[in-house]
Amino acid sequence: MTGTLTRLLRVLITLLSHHRRHPLQTLFLLTGLVTGVALWSAVQVINAHARASYAEADQVLGAQASHWVRSGSGEGVSVDDYVNLRRQGWRSVFPILEQRLTTADQSVINLIATDLLALPDEEAGTATGLPAGGWMQLVTPPHEAWYPETLAQQLGLEDGDRLTLNSGKALPPARVFSREQQGLRVFMDIGAALTLLDRSHLSYLVVAELPGDAAARLSRDLAALNPDLRLVANQQRLDLTELTQSLHTQLAAMSLLSFAVGLFIVFNAVRFSLSARRHTLTTLRELGVSQRLLLGAIALETLVMSIIGTLGGLGLGYGLSQLLLPSVAATLQNLYGAVLDYTLLVQPVTVLQAWLLTSAGLVLALAWPLWRQAQRSLQDQRDEPSQWQQDQRARRRLALGSLVLALLALGLYFQLNSIAMGFTVLALILFAGAGLLPWTVALILRGLQRALPASAWRLNWACGEGLAQLGTLRTALMALLLALTANFGVDSLVDSFRTSLSDWLQQRLAADLFVQSDTLDIDALLANPGDWLVESHRRNGLTVRWENRPTQIRGLNTDTSDTRALPLAAETDRSSAWFDGDPDVVLANEQARYLAGIELGETVQIPVGQQTVAFEVVGFYHDYGNPAYQFYLPYQRVAELWPNAGEQGLGLWLNDHDDALARAEAALVAAGARPGDWTRREDVLAISLRVFDRTFAMTAAINALTFTVAGIALLASLLAIHQQRLPSYAHWRSMGVSNREWLLIAGLPLGIGLLVTWLLSIPLGTLLAGLLIYDLNVLSFGWTMPLIWQFEPARSLFWLTLLVAGFTFAISAVQARLKLPQALKHLGEDAA
Amino acid sequence: MLRLNQVVKHFAQPDGDVTVLSGASFHLPAGRSAALLGESGSGKSTLLHLVAGLDTPDAGELVIDGHSSLSMSAGDWNRLRRDRLSLIFQQYHLVPTLTVLDNLQLQARLSQRLDPAFRDHLIDRLGLADLTRRLPHQLSGGQQQRVAIARALLHRPALVLADEPTGNLDEATSERVMGVLVELVRETGSSLLMVTHSAHMASFLDEQWRLQHGQLHQQHDQYNGEPAL
Amino acid sequence: MRFYRFICVVMLFSVAALVTAESRDTDPSAALDIMRASGEGYQTAQPGQPIRFPEDHLAHPDYRIEWWYLTANLTDAEGQHYGVHWTLFRTALRPGSEAGGWTSNQMWMAHSAIHTPEGHDYEERFARGGIGQAGVGINAEGRFDAWLDDWQLLGTGDSPVPGGLITSVNDITLSLEWRAEQPWVLHGDNGFSLKSGQGQGSYYYSQPRLQITGQVTIEGTLTPLSGEGWLDREWSSQPLASDQLGWDWFSLQFDDGASLMAFHLRQEDDGPYVRGTWIDADGQSRSLEEGDLVVEPLEWGEVVVAQGEDARKSLPLVWRIELPGQDARWTVRVREADSWLATLVPYWEGPVRAEGRSGGVGYLEMTGY
Repeated sequence: MTGTLTRLLRVLITLLSHHRRHPLQTLFLLTGLVTGVALWSAVQVINAHARASYAEADQVLGAQASHWVRSGSGEGVSVDDYVNLRRQGWRSVFPILEQRLTTADQSVINLIATDLLALPDEEAGTATGLPAGGWMQLVTPPHEAWYPETLAQQLGLEDGDRLTLNSGKALPPARVFSREQQGLRVFMDIGAALTLLDRSHLSYLVVAELPGDAAARLSRDLAALNPDLRLVANQQRLDLTELTQSLHTQLAAMSLLSFAVGLFIVFNAVRFSLSARRHTLTTLRELGVSQRLLLGAIALETLVMSIIGTLGGLGLGYGLSQLLLPSVAATLQNLYGAVLDYTLLVQPVTVLQAWLLTSAGLVLALAWPLWRQAQRSLQDQRDEPSQWQQDQRARRRLALGSLVLALLALGLYFQLNSIAMGFTVLALILFAGAGLLPWTVALILRGLQRALPASAWRLNWACGEGLAQLGTLRTALMALLLALTANFGVDSLVDSFRTSLSDWLQQRLAADLFVQSDTLDIDALLANPGDWLVESHRRNGLTVRWENRPTQIRGLNTDTSDTRALPLAAETDRSSAWFDGDPDVVLANEQARYLAGIELGETVQIPVGQQTVAFEVVGFYHDYGNPAYQFYLPYQRVAELWPNAGEQGLGLWLNDHDDALARAEAALVAAGARPGDWTRREDVLAISLRVFDRTFAMTAAINALTFTVAGIALLASLLAIHQQRLPSYAHWRSMGVSNREWLLIAGLPLGIGLLVTWLLSIPLGTLLAGLLIYDLNVLSFGWTMPLIWQFEPARSLFWLTLLVAGFTFAISAVQARLKLPQALKHLGEDAA
Repeated sequence: MLRLNQVVKHFAQPDGDVTVLSGASFHLPAGRSAALLGESGSGKSTLLHLVAGLDTPDAGELVIDGHSSLSMSAGDWNRLRRDRLSLIFQQYHLVPTLTVLDNLQLQARLSQRLDPAFRDHLIDRLGLADLTRRLPHQLSGGQQQRVAIARALLHRPALVLADEPTGNLDEATSERVMGVLVELVRETGSSLLMVTHSAHMASFLDEQWRLQHGQLHQQHDQYNGEPAL
Repeated sequence: MRFYRFICVVMLFSVAALVTAESRDTDPSAALDIMRASGEGYQTAQPGQPIRFPEDHLAHPDYRIEWWYLTANLTDAEGQHYGVHWTLFRTALRPGSEAGGWTSNQMWMAHSAIHTPEGHDYEERFARGGIGQAGVGINAEGRFDAWLDDWQLLGTGDSPVPGGLITSVNDITLSLEWRAEQPWVLHGDNGFSLKSGQGQGSYYYSQPRLQITGQVTIEGTLTPLSGEGWLDREWSSQPLASDQLGWDWFSLQFDDGASLMAFHLRQEDDGPYVRGTWIDADGQSRSLEEGDLVVEPLEWGEVVVAQGEDARKSLPLVWRIELPGQDARWTVRVREADSWLATLVPYWEGPVRAEGRSGGVGYLEMTGY
């Protein structure tokens, strides 16, 4: 036994000596693993963290939240009603004020406030969960506003700074501190917040726990207290999990793509280590090392590599996730209202998954070929076909494999019905494209060789050299193709989305002023407006549950210019009935069409109180960014069916007098609105687009990282090529090849390879964008939009590729030049 | 030490089967050395591979160090190769990433028969003392082959199999390498079977055999007796 | 005079605020504000200011701390003992006029504790002032009302006596009603009670003989109770002297109709500061000054201070009380050692039995251990 172990160790050391002699290639192997695992695990950590946060969605600021008490009319809960409930013994009820605030420089922030003393968890209210002296500072003037670190950084606030709102008021001095489930929100004492914002009503009450029949009793008590109040079960946890599933699938898919790109580096490095060690393996067998022992040693090497790769990758991934988290959190809060806190934990299952993934990748890239090598009979091993033949065979096999993958993708595409399937098709297409690349490059190089006149012998030589390099270069080119395609595809998607969203917002936000106020007397304002007002549009609405999801009912004025101009994505010939105020027809957002599977002309049952009312769907409208289903009905109809529907904002069109805005603002204040209750059109647009850009910042970040990994792959393979070709270079030099000729011959094939790769990435990226926009986007979010193809992203990617390639080629060329004298010496020795 | 009984070996070729060995028999007593001569393609190397267990005969029996090829498993062959045999090739087959010292100790370590005194003796005798820290590619061909010889002998194998060990070396170097190989084999007490196409190299050994038409014949030529070093 | 713990609450917040202010180092005057807040700006208790009823039953927001404090020894029909202790504390977070509403500077805290034959239970609650969640006042029906959430001490008129209490301890609910034959007892100098040799003091009066009936509901079972209780009213602005370590306080109701209030303030350098009030069976009271009263611990015992953990403290569980002038002495034993309240500021509070010139029952509070 010990003999076997000693021998195993000896064989392992012999195998590992390769890494000692070629540390750079080993570095690349590990870099590939580490970066791949890092990107993957970063997203994994964030996804797991987000899911954990959803699980906490049945908590508010650290306290249990099984139900809400909300007002039907939308005006909030009065303090008297709240205190009454407490005095009736409903001690698990605590008050929340949530408000969206616009700062003086037009950033939007969210505020959440409560009375910490009222939280049912007494510890949360008193000694723990607070910074030193926190409670006292919070409740006594000048009070404090607590900002999570990320938000404080975004707003450029430090402890003690006061944030000025666009109403001119200032929030209390800042403290950088975050409570549980505070998310990206500012936290304040509710008393201080209500006073500062001049509000009389609480947004809602949270009910911590309602065991047994308590819910029914509380409902009764609420009805007796104030019929406007209703008890709503907290389904946020389930809703968030469901609503955000698509987003997380997309993130996971992107991270797997990154891992795949990382794996290409590994393939590259392994190919090198394999060709370098082929003879060693045979020699070991000839020295009487059994196959089993060799396999054991290979397995051990794989294990060592996988552990280093996993640990390094997780470490880096954790750091990356810290960087990515703010943008993911912004996305989740912007799109879904999901609140993420900022303490990231790497769960053991993530570590295990990372290790399994690494091992799987390594087994695929390293162990499998080594094993096959070890498996072959000793006789065969010495009679290798030439490298040239092998490369050609591999290229042909890859191309054939690509065709199979492409056919598979095509077959799957016609049965596309889930996001996972969509990403499978996407992956198949990407890999089919990648697999086709070496064959295409070889075809072009050979075509060039044939087409070039005999006098252009240097170019001819370069093409030949290109074919020789291709074996090593191909994986890097494939990785680059993946990165370029993903970048181009996702850039096209984001550009298309941004254009569509911007157009849609322009149409939708037609009014000059948007007012959202719970103190404004709209009737009074509109009764006698004055000549500054050209047109107004008042909306009402509420949220119901339909098809197991939160569903928004919105009442619109069907006569206003913005409603009249509402562009529909699809409509029946009865759509005009809706604009005529027909009470039995509705317009639905596209989400209802694609996610709930409602067809044009279909009848939907919308819950009204305990019953449902049937409506015919006569049209679908775009509703970008909304995770909920939504129905448009005439304002009056909503008011009739749901007497407790609240005001959902007021749009005002002003005339073009210079003082129209000032007069409108004066009129609003006179009718009870408070500064900060209205926003100008330009500001809404700017804010929306800023939210959009922040939402997609993460996509850009992952894209950039993928590209970096591809760059490393390129560097790794160029270094390997020069290492392998060094004897040839020495030979050329001995024949009198000049530096410039060498650059041409060694560099031109790379240029051709890159050009082909870039060219191929354009159609592939377009295909990818198409798939993302027309299929995956619809499946995930239920939004449709046109693909707006632009050359711009391709152009910038071209320059970026050129830059990266130039840089890496320069490094590898310098390396080669440095080693050349030694290689020449060997040439001499061998000849002697 | 080594006995071949009616060994038959065919090779499938596009233009029909080629018979390399058609019932060849041969005996090499312990401590003796034999050269195997023959035309290119006569099957010398195949015979050597059969003896090393790298290939299997179609018929007949090989007895190596008392083990019959008829009853040996792949594992037995591995153990036999590791502990009792050693191979020396024209291309040296050193592990390129190990130093000279690690290379020449490799098989002895694998078979756990590393004798440091004998190692130092071999290093000394083969003139490798100044080269032990180098990597194979930093050595000349003759030096590499001397490392291969050291590796082949350090674990004191029963039988050394050499396939054109001087095929890549110039004449003078060949002489030196051959001389030291024969001397050390004798010192170690191993048997040696060497494939060569050179009658001159063959003359260094105790016996000369020629492979012709699938049969082995012992030769008694002009070079018989002690070779001059 | 159980303000020890309340002071601790206030100190906790103030000290923490100070630490933060120092570490923040942004506005040195903020730290000074806290200093001023902790020392000055409040009304201070001084001798010579008469106690007025019913006004002084209500809150005194200009003073820093104040409490309404009930203890009771009750029995059920089978003679099994029940101990009840309910208290409502008020504190002003900063000096200045009380604006009410969300900007109120008042904070409320309440404790509700019960000894049943099954054991000891207690609950602690907090509430901000100003919004009506907790407070003391005269309600719409003209009745005295002191409440926090659904805990409520309600008088039948503008005084807490006669009146009643509705409270709960976790799942146990308790309702009591009371009346009293004796008048209110003003401690010290007509209601000004000196707490140290350095002048710290408070306004302090009690109703030592509440005749109580009521019921407790445990796991759906309703048990009628009756017995005697003691109601304390006290308010002040100044903390204890800095060298005072802790506090032992007795309220005893003897079988012969007399009552005794005694406190034993442990001081770092000097001997204990011991004072009290003697109340005859007919309600006549007499202040017990230095030398009139001896209070001494006799036996110490182990008390479990945290449930589920093996955390124990050693406390005096048997006391000697002596009135040398009257040649009267008692041995006071706690009924249940298990009377520790692990509240924000932890303390021991539980029923006691007195043996001596005449038997008696009462309550003991021990703080600062």
